[in-house]
Amino acid sequence: MSDQRESYQPPAGGAGRSYAGASAASGTMHYLCAECGVKVAINKGEPIRCKECGHRILYKQRTKRMVQFEAR
Amino acid sequence: MASQSEYPQSAPAEDTPMEDLSEIDNDEPLVEEESMFNDLRITTLPGAEEGSASFEIKGEDHTLGNALRYIIMKNPEVEFCGYSIPHPSEEKMNIRIQIYPEYWETTKPYDVLLKGFDDLSDLCDHVTEAFTAAKDAHGKHEDK
Amino acid sequence: MPSSTQNIDQRRVVGVEAEIVTNVTSTDFPGHWPNEDHSWDINKFKQSFKVVFHKNSPLFAEFDLIHIDASIANTFRRILLAEVATLAIETVYVSNNTSIIQDEVLSHRLGLIPLTGDKAALRAMKWYTKAAPGEAARYPTDEDTIVLHLRAACERLPGAKKSETDPDKLYKNHSVHARDLIFEPAGKQVQTFAANPVRAANPDILIAKLRPGQEIDVTMHCVKGIGQDHAKFSPVATASYRLLPLIKIKKPILGRAAERFAACFPKGVIAFEADPNTGEKMAVVGNARNDTVSREVLRHEEFKGFVELGRVRDHFIFSIESSGQFDADELFLSAVATLKAKCTYLKRDTQRMLKKQALDARSGRDQSRLKRGDRGWME
Repeated sequence: MSDQRESYQPPAGGAGRSYAGASAASGTMHYLCAECGVKVAINKGEPIRCKECGHRILYKQRTKRMVQFEAR
Repeated sequence: MASQSEYPQSAPAEDTPMEDLSEIDNDEPLVEEESMFNDLRITTLPGAEEGSASFEIKGEDHTLGNALRYIIMKNPEVEFCGYSIPHPSEEKMNIRIQIYPEYWETTKPYDVLLKGFDDLSDLCDHVTEAFTAAKDAHGKHEDK
Repeated sequence: MPSSTQNIDQRRVVGVEAEIVTNVTSTDFPGHWPNEDHSWDINKFKQSFKVVFHKNSPLFAEFDLIHIDASIANTFRRILLAEVATLAIETVYVSNNTSIIQDEVLSHRLGLIPLTGDKAALRAMKWYTKAAPGEAARYPTDEDTIVLHLRAACERLPGAKKSETDPDKLYKNHSVHARDLIFEPAGKQVQTFAANPVRAANPDILIAKLRPGQEIDVTMHCVKGIGQDHAKFSPVATASYRLLPLIKIKKPILGRAAERFAACFPKGVIAFEADPNTGEKMAVVGNARNDTVSREVLRHEEFKGFVELGRVRDHFIFSIESSGQFDADELFLSAVATLKAKCTYLKRDTQRMLKKQALDARSGRDQSRLKRGDRGWME
C-alpha cells in the first residue's frame, strides 16, 4: 500500500503545455508558501514542504493563461 | 464636424435624397428597390385613416419622441399629436397624428411627420448657429 | 425695481407656492389662445431664441438657453447623457492578476476610466460591431479599436526600517493609477495619435493597490460606444438644466424686516436699496439666478402677501460637465448635430416607407404585406 503511494507519478508538465509555475520541459513546479510567501521550486518526488520555513502548506500559482472579460 | 453628425443606429452610410413621391415611375423595377426597403426604422401602424395615422419608430424613445411631438403640435393643421412607448423593454416609439378635417384634402399625416422632421432640423441648425456665436463671443477659459 | 426679471410675461412663469406649483405646462400651441398664432416659424424662433454663456472651460460649461421649449432642451440633455459617442475600454484580457481585486471587478473599474486623446482622431474612429451569435469573430482594426496595456508588479523597497508603516517607503509600485495605462498605437494610429496619445483623462485615478509579490498584467481593447449601451460611454459627468428662478416683491419690505427677508434666501439673491421716500433700508431682488427656490420665505407669516416665487418656464440654465474626452461646449454641439442626424435619417426612412407603400398598393403584388397592415392609409 505504502509502496503504491511512493510510486505515484504526478503528471509531467510537458508536450508543449506549460502550467502556471512550471518551468518549461523540466518537471519543476513553483508554488507559493502559505506561511512565508516565498516561491518554492519542487521537483517530482520531492516532499511538499517550503524550503525556507518548512511549512507544509503550499499554494498553486494563478494561471498565466489569458482570461477575457467585458469591462461592464 | 462632419463626423459628429454620424448617427449611431444609422443604417447605410450613403444618403441619397429621395425624389418626390408624386412621381413614382410606373415602370420602375420592383426587385431592385427591395434592398432600399430593408431595415426601415419607421412603419405605419394599422388603423390609419384619411386624416389620422400612427407611426412606429424603432430605436427611438422620449429623446426624439417628445421633441417631435412638440414640433408637430406647433403645426396649425394638427388637431392632435402624441407619442408613447408601449413597452419599456421594446425599443419602439409610437407617434400618433390627427389632422383637422378641413385640411384632409391637402395634408396627409405623413406630410405632417415630414414637416416635423424638417422643422426640427431647421431648429437644430439655428441652435447650432446661435450657440456657436454666443460661445465665440464669450471665449474659453482654462479649468481652475 | 431693478431686476429685468420683474416685468415678465405671466405666461412664461411657473408659480411656486408653499405646497403647489401652478401654470406648469406650456401653452404656446396653435389653437390654445384665441386669435393668436403659435404655429412653428423658424424666423420667429431665430428672433426670439437666445444663448447666453456664463462659463466655458474645457471641462465645464454653463449657459442659458432662452425661449426654447422644455421638450427640446430635454432632448438635448438626454442626447448628451446617452447618445454622444465616446471611446472607452470594452474588453479586458487578463494575463495575470494576483492583486486582491478580482478580475471582473478590475475589468469593470478599467471600463469606467474616462479616456482622452486626439479629438479629431477619436471622432474619425469607426464603430466596432460585435459578431452576432454564430457569426465568425470580427477582428478589430486600427480604425475601430485602441489597445492599451497595464503592467504593474509590487516589490519591497530594500533598507526600509522594520517599524516603518508608510507604504511609500516600504514598497515600490504599491498603487496602480490610471496614468500607468500604456497606449499601443497600431497602424495609422501611430500618426493620428502622435501629438495627443490616448490616455486617461484624469491620471490620478487609483485602479488598484498592490503588496509585494502581487502583479497585474492586462491588455485592453477600447471601442466607441454610446451611453445608452453603458454609462462608461457617456461623455458627460453630468448634463443638467434648471429654470431661472423668479422673485417678485409686491410690497416694500423695510428695515429689520428686509434683513430677515434676505436671510430666507441664499447670499446675494436679495440686495438692499434706500427707500426713495424715507431713505430706509429696502429689500430688492439682487441675483435671482443664485436662488434655490427653497420656499423658506413662504414659511414666514410676516412676508405673506409680500412676495411671489416662480421660475421662468422657457429660460434654461444649462450646465455640462465633461468627463474629459471632449470639451463641454463641443459636446452640446454634438448633441444638436445628433438630433439633426436623427431627423435626416428618419425623414429618409419615412420617404422610403411611403414609396414602398405606394409600390405595394400599385402592384398589389405582396399580399402578405397587406395582412401585416404595413400599408395603412395607402389603401
